Amino acid sequence: MEYAIETIGLTKVFSDWWGRAKVYAVDDLNLQILPNEVFGLLGPNGSGKTTTIKMLLGLLHPTKGHALILGGDGTDPKINARVGFLPEESYLYRFLNARETLDFYGRLFGLNAETRRMRIEALLEMVGLAAVASRPVGTYSKGMARRIGLAQALINDPDLLILDEPTTGLDPIGTRQIKDLIQKLAERGKTVLLCSHLLADVEDVCDRIAILYGGRVQAHGQVKELLQKTNKRQIVTDAISDATADRIRQILQEEHAECEISSPMERLETFFINTVVEAQRQAAPTSGAVSTTQIGDFLAGGANKDNILDKLVSAPVVEKPSVGPVRTEKPQPRETVTPEANKDLLRKLATQSASTETTGGAPTKTERVDTVRETAIKQEQIKKNLLDELTGKKTPNAATEKPSAEQKEDGGHA
Amino acid sequence: MRRVWAVATNTMRQALRMKVAAVFILLLLILLPVLGFTATGDGTLKGRLQTFVSYGLSLTSLLLSLLTIIVAIYSITSDIEYHQIYTVVTKPIRRYQLILGKFLGVVVLDIALLTLFTGIIYGVVTLMPRFIKASEEERAQIDNEFYTARASLVPPVLDVREAVEQLYRKLQADDELELLYPNYSRADILKQLTNRLRLEKRASAIGQPLIWEFQNVRPTDPNRQSLFIRFKYDVSVTPEDEQVYGEWRIGDLRGLKPGGPEVKTPVYQTMRRDPVRKFREIEVPADAVAKDGYLAVGFMNPPLNQTTVMFPLEDGLEVLYKADTFMGNYVRGALLILCRLVFLACLGVMAASFLSFPVAILFCLVIFTTGSASGFIIDSFGYMSAGVGKVYLYTIQAVIQLLPQFDKYNPTQFLVPARLIPWVLIGKVVLTMLCIQAALLLILSLIIFSFRELAKVVV
Repeated sequence: MEYAIETIGLTKVFSDWWGRAKVYAVDDLNLQILPNEVFGLLGPNGSGKTTTIKMLLGLLHPTKGHALILGGDGTDPKINARVGFLPEESYLYRFLNARETLDFYGRLFGLNAETRRMRIEALLEMVGLAAVASRPVGTYSKGMARRIGLAQALINDPDLLILDEPTTGLDPIGTRQIKDLIQKLAERGKTVLLCSHLLADVEDVCDRIAILYGGRVQAHGQVKELLQKTNKRQIVTDAISDATADRIRQILQEEHAECEISSPMERLETFFINTVVEAQRQAAPTSGAVSTTQIGDFLAGGANKDNILDKLVSAPVVEKPSVGPVRTEKPQPRETVTPEANKDLLRKLATQSASTETTGGAPTKTERVDTVRETAIKQEQIKKNLLDELTGKKTPNAATEKPSAEQKEDGGHA
Repeated sequence: MRRVWAVATNTMRQALRMKVAAVFILLLLILLPVLGFTATGDGTLKGRLQTFVSYGLSLTSLLLSLLTIIVAIYSITSDIEYHQIYTVVTKPIRRYQLILGKFLGVVVLDIALLTLFTGIIYGVVTLMPRFIKASEEERAQIDNEFYTARASLVPPVLDVREAVEQLYRKLQADDELELLYPNYSRADILKQLTNRLRLEKRASAIGQPLIWEFQNVRPTDPNRQSLFIRFKYDVSVTPEDEQVYGEWRIGDLRGLKPGGPEVKTPVYQTMRRDPVRKFREIEVPADAVAKDGYLAVGFMNPPLNQTTVMFPLEDGLEVLYKADTFMGNYVRGALLILCRLVFLACLGVMAASFLSFPVAILFCLVIFTTGSASGFIIDSFGYMSAGVGKVYLYTIQAVIQLLPQFDKYNPTQFLVPARLIPWVLIGKVVLTMLCIQAALLLILSLIIFSFRELAKVVV
């Protein structure tokens, strides 16, 4: 099986000018990150996280060992075309505005003008910077710079996303948005390497983690397995009377088990976001600033945002057995067959066919869509009928169009 | 190519939104028109125009050179210093494409700015006679001596090797060598003797004539144009008023020889008084040239003078005639400046590929000033003694050959005396300065940049 990222004995030694006083920034690192995995690389400052990423991307040369990214070299343009990278700070050209910044990166990917325009608008909308898009990036606050940095990493619809400290400088709402986004991208089959020392972020979104210290992996594995205490049980109930609580305590004492009863605390993050959203809702009719309502939409994870993601991301949502602890529940179209759901299904199928066509036989891509292949084949017939029904006589030529244009069209239908 | 162009446009944007570029551009936009009114030269219209063109082009060339160096270096070093390069080279672009993009951006910017500023200078130059209400006479003069491109004919360098050998042997036989040239090497003595003999052929004792003959003189329109004899006197004894008399004959002088052919074209004759050690010009109608392109210039040192008159070897005498329009010549002059800018862009890119901003700037400025004074430097190395000369020949000279010679190809030294800049010269500059020197620098920078680590190590 091909790994999305693999390092074999990766070592980086820093020496002074005379070649003395060696420091092992990364020491014999062996990482294997599977496709469609959200992998968290943790560690305190100076533990070698960023150095590892720089070696993966060819910005630093390893002293020893190899770093493979999507099965190839990090400096190969073919590989780069499928990678999105957000460095530890959003190093942006201060003299460009947000739109020009994204346009520049789009052009580096060789995207045509139409695709660029469409993606840039969608991305600006998504990161909530549409209203300030014509201001020089140099005047942005750190959080805004982070958002545009993230947009920059997504402009090529990457298969692999490398995020180095994506949430530094962001307020809790922005942090939450990025976490939601990572999950949504993972649902669409993307691989994410998340590098952070903010443990709460990693815990919320990552499937697997590795903890680095002194350039070496100190612990790694599934987040659940690492954190679950199998010798403890937790019971959550509605508000019960003190008498009932005493009875429970009695029962537990019979089993000689320790027990503690208290009211659960709401997470501060959730409380903060609820407060802000409430405040925004009340202020909306008077101020009506575009950016604030946008954040609301974004948070709600509503139809608006999904449309944007559909425009940007070629792969459809892949149903995985729940991996992260937080998953937004969505109505499943397959259970209730209403005309509305049919359209949704059609959109998904159409985008999927577009993606498989354009990427051809790229091995990782086909592997990734394996899980949906079965259902896709079954529904092939339905799709054709629906296509005829909905679009009149749509010629098969339409399928050979650029995927971006088609997705945009589909987004409009839905 | 699309990606290279993306980087190029970004580089141009950076340069234009960077304050340094704005300062340079503003400075030129203000200074050029101001120069047009303040540069008076010697007070005549011709002097005004010459001073303006000289100052204007030199200033444009200097400021654009500095701008090129700064932009080329800054756009690369700032990307590395401020880490924007992390997000750029991790996109599907090869590192050499990035460097080529930066280089292309600087060059396109140079072309645009050079066109703008040389355009302004050209506009001021063509409008100036109207503004200062020049007289008809002055206008006619500048039409002939400024708004034109004159080809130059220089007397061929005489082959005096045999005479030198003879003289050397004679001096040796007479034991005068030690006396005349103590502690000189043989090569140095030969050099001195060569100069002495050559100068003798260009010296006129009182009452003695000198004749220079030129072949293939082809003015574009012999019946309406003029020839110009540009000369500079040197004297053995300077007269009190520093003036020298001269009797000149210009035309087909073959007829004067006994048994010579019959001459159909006119021979012009003039007697004049000119200051010593200053350039002067004699204007003669171009019909003095014989049908077969033959022209002779004769000089006689009249007995009115009390001294021998000499014409210095390098620039003592030349014949000028119109060979192209001012416009054509001006465009070629701008091309010479462009060659210099392209070279500097390559130099800047090369320096930035492995040096930090201040060091790279210093490095480029050193090369730039060396290149601007290359004539002086090459000459001073030429005076080294023979012993060191061998070492010099194989080491420093090779390095100097790689240095650009900006001063040698300075367009103002052509445009001010309305000298033709031949296409051959442009070709030579393109070949040596661009195809060899600049290309080497660019290739070097591509190699360095492709293999270096772009990130700094932070532990």
